[in-house]
Amino acid sequence: MFHYTIQKRIKFVLYLIILIFIIIIFRIFYIQVFSKNKLDDLANNLWSRNLPILADRGNITDRNGVILAGNITTTSLIVVPVQIKNKEEVAENLAKILETDYLNIYSHLTKHTSVERIHPEGRRLSYEKAEAINKLNYDGVYLLKESKRYYPYDNVLSHVLGYVGIDNQGLSGIELEYDNYLKGSDGKIKYYSDGKGLRLNLSEVYDEPVAGNNIALTIDINIQNVAERELDNVMTKYNPENALVLVMDPNTGEIIAMASRPNFNPNNYQNYDLETINRNLPIWMSYEPGSTFKIITLASAINENKVNLFEDKFYDNGSITVENARIKCWKSGGHGAESFLNVVENSCNPGFVVLGQRLGTDLLYSYLEKFGFGTKTGIDLNGESKGIMFKKENMGPVETATTAFGQGISVTPIQQVRGVSAAINGGKLYTPYIVKSISESQTNEMIVLNQPKFNGSVITEETSSLVRYALESVVANGTGKNAYIENYRVGGKTGTAQKVKDGRYMVGNYILSFVGFLPADKPDYVVYVAINNPKGVTQYGGTVSAPVAKNIMLSIIDYKNYKEEPSEKSREYTWLDEKYYYLPNVIGMNLSDAKKTLKNFKIEYAGEGANIIAQEPNSIWVKEGSIVKLLLDD
Amino acid sequence: MKKSLLIFLSALLLSIFGLLMIYSSSHIWSEYKFNDPYYYVRHQLIFFFIGLILIYFIRKIDYKLYYKYSNIILLGSFILLVLVLIPGLGQVRNGSRSWFGIGSLGIQPSELAKISLIIFTAKYLSKSEKTIKFFKNGTLPILLIIFLFFGLIMLEPDFGTGMVIVMSLMFMLFISNIKLSFFGIMGTLGLGGIAALIIIAPYRLARILSFLNPWSDPLGSGFQIIQSLYAIGPSGLFGKGLGNSVQKHFYLPEPQTDFIFAIISEEFGFLGILIISILFLTLFYNTIKISLNQKDLFAKYLSFGLIIEIIFQTILNISVVIGLVPVTGVTLPFISYGGSSLLISMISIGIILNISREK
Repeated sequence: MFHYTIQKRIKFVLYLIILIFIIIIFRIFYIQVFSKNKLDDLANNLWSRNLPILADRGNITDRNGVILAGNITTTSLIVVPVQIKNKEEVAENLAKILETDYLNIYSHLTKHTSVERIHPEGRRLSYEKAEAINKLNYDGVYLLKESKRYYPYDNVLSHVLGYVGIDNQGLSGIELEYDNYLKGSDGKIKYYSDGKGLRLNLSEVYDEPVAGNNIALTIDINIQNVAERELDNVMTKYNPENALVLVMDPNTGEIIAMASRPNFNPNNYQNYDLETINRNLPIWMSYEPGSTFKIITLASAINENKVNLFEDKFYDNGSITVENARIKCWKSGGHGAESFLNVVENSCNPGFVVLGQRLGTDLLYSYLEKFGFGTKTGIDLNGESKGIMFKKENMGPVETATTAFGQGISVTPIQQVRGVSAAINGGKLYTPYIVKSISESQTNEMIVLNQPKFNGSVITEETSSLVRYALESVVANGTGKNAYIENYRVGGKTGTAQKVKDGRYMVGNYILSFVGFLPADKPDYVVYVAINNPKGVTQYGGTVSAPVAKNIMLSIIDYKNYKEEPSEKSREYTWLDEKYYYLPNVIGMNLSDAKKTLKNFKIEYAGEGANIIAQEPNSIWVKEGSIVKLLLDD
Repeated sequence: MKKSLLIFLSALLLSIFGLLMIYSSSHIWSEYKFNDPYYYVRHQLIFFFIGLILIYFIRKIDYKLYYKYSNIILLGSFILLVLVLIPGLGQVRNGSRSWFGIGSLGIQPSELAKISLIIFTAKYLSKSEKTIKFFKNGTLPILLIIFLFFGLIMLEPDFGTGMVIVMSLMFMLFISNIKLSFFGIMGTLGLGGIAALIIIAPYRLARILSFLNPWSDPLGSGFQIIQSLYAIGPSGLFGKGLGNSVQKHFYLPEPQTDFIFAIISEEFGFLGILIISILFLTLFYNTIKISLNQKDLFAKYLSFGLIIEIIFQTILNISVVIGLVPVTGVTLPFISYGGSSLLISMISIGIILNISREK
């Protein structure tokens, strides 16, 4: 009986122990199979040390691939303190090579950290220094490739490009806005170390850094340089508070140049205050546009058939009274009898008040909205303002009258340029943009290709043609004659805006602007110049800003090889007695229809057939009886 | 094959494998501490040969002699356990005053106490076949002796060894004619005792909590378990190969002792663990067979007691390493670095081999 019990219990213990072993083996199996990945990762994190290798940032180039923001590759010194055996000796030799003091280096070598960067002495080492350190061949001393942002043009385009911080992170401008595209991903050399941080003889892993994407801007560096040069001259000559230039392709919304003063050098951004760096004036600043805004009123009035520039007459006696408010013309005594084309040429305020009145508040307001005022343009840059418009319900006759000639509202330069572009490009409103494309740096594969963004037609092609015509006259005969370029067709409009401070207009303190475009009949470029409070000069946009715009346009003509194209209207030509007609497009019509359409013109034929395949000139305003050449074919 | 040969071969293979792993896991530490990568393995090798000689002689010593001298042996152990507590005589290692130092070698009296208590208990149980059922005359006296020794060992303190001794003797009591209800009471008391110990020394609670979630205190109480899992987890089926452990490079502290099983797993993978387990089970199974075959009750209890002590310590060690139970601080028999531990295991094998001659 007793022996039976003890044998039974020994056997029980035998099975129990075997069972426990099975449980243990399953537990180990579980750890090695189901927890393996997690433990692998954790253990690898524990064992491995990473020597960082910074990735190259993507390049920022202009529209032709000229690098505006690139990288320079340098060598940097990195130490792993625990791996350095003779710290005194290493510190002494490194200090000698780096030309710094022993204690400084020694403190780096004795830090309780896994990887220590010798900063700043050990960064951007010259070849000789790097070579000398390499020759020492010390354990725990590493030379790593480091990439540093470099802006070869220094101050040029600084607000657009922005700058990067010490760790190559974008901090403003394109660098910030497109940081995710530009930054790439850092690589590393991963090695295994023991629990004390010493290097183990296990295989190292080299993770190659991946360079960021390249960004091509719509900017043309040649034209940008011209703009910068002109602004430098303006700063020297007039010492204004600030000044800016904006050049845009009116047919697409591509920004060709964008410059302002004060600016900064992104290579040494530390030397500038943040306000200077962060305020990109062409999109941030907003102010009363003054007379350049009249282009919008003009375009609206023509589009609504409220005026015939050539036939409607106006008498300017120097002022106009709107609801007890007397609005003076800038010219004391007024311009006397004039056509509305003269009103535009003379930038006559009472004349534009009349245009505003003919449109009425509702129509004028709806055109302002259609031309994009009061809302951000949506340009792909940080820090855009939206300007200030009257609320429609607060807009009485006086507000309507002043708005018509550019007072009492506040717009940004980019809004002004977009609006004018729509007025002269055939009536199409485009969203301005500055990033043309983004491509992968290794393969050049296109990731993003921005297309012009069309936001609908504001005015008709015919109206636009007439606006171009009037503005060409402004340059030929009117207030914009300082921008006149012999033998080239240029249009434009001056602006002299009083600045407002504490609700009152300041005396003798103006923002002088000019918006011009070329060629006048088929514009490729809109050039906008604004100079804030120039010193020692007559404060008219025509005298200060127009010549600046002219210089820029001259450079564009030279750079783009525009052919001489003498305008039909010379500077002295008088328009008043002539009748002008819009010459429509007849290409594609048959001959008899074309004849009916062109009844006010003389027609010359070339070729044989019944259909018109070419026409010269086309879609512009011409004198009655002008010759139209048509090419015929079947 | 004869059971005794299987037992001897299992023990021999485990010890030789232990020597290999002590070298592999300790040479980094050893080099760092003593400027000698062979420091630990050389010491263990000395004990290994002493152990072999001991097996050779002890298997010829009639086990009945232990029956005769059990009281003296127990008294000797008792005296040593008291002496080791006296500062100056006993040396402190790893936080326990549990060593007599002889040069660079050392002897742990608590290891000797294991064998003495097993001999004494085997004799006690074989004599009290009838009376063991009764608490006052049967169970109580042996319990008092067990807990007297346990108390002394806990004064060092060496919770792991104390635990192994108590549990081995409980297994011996279990197979005797004792009433099973006794273990219900003992279990309750045991839990109460553990609770009391935790209240006395709260660091034990931290150990228990760290076993439940070692990542709750990764640099403190959970440190060893996490480091151990980092060795076991990534090793896979075949491990990283002999000598390729990463964790022995100053991550797992003193990898040649309590956590040597983790390094075995890291270098030899699941397969290595399986082989080790099979060797231990071979040793265990064949000894149990011998115990079952014994007609002499003393021999039955003694062989069972000796092998259950070895196997329980093995289970406890592995369970700690794989995070099944809290860190207790016991070595892996035959394999971990430690002279006393190896000698006691070898002596146990010698006695078992002697018993196996009897039928």
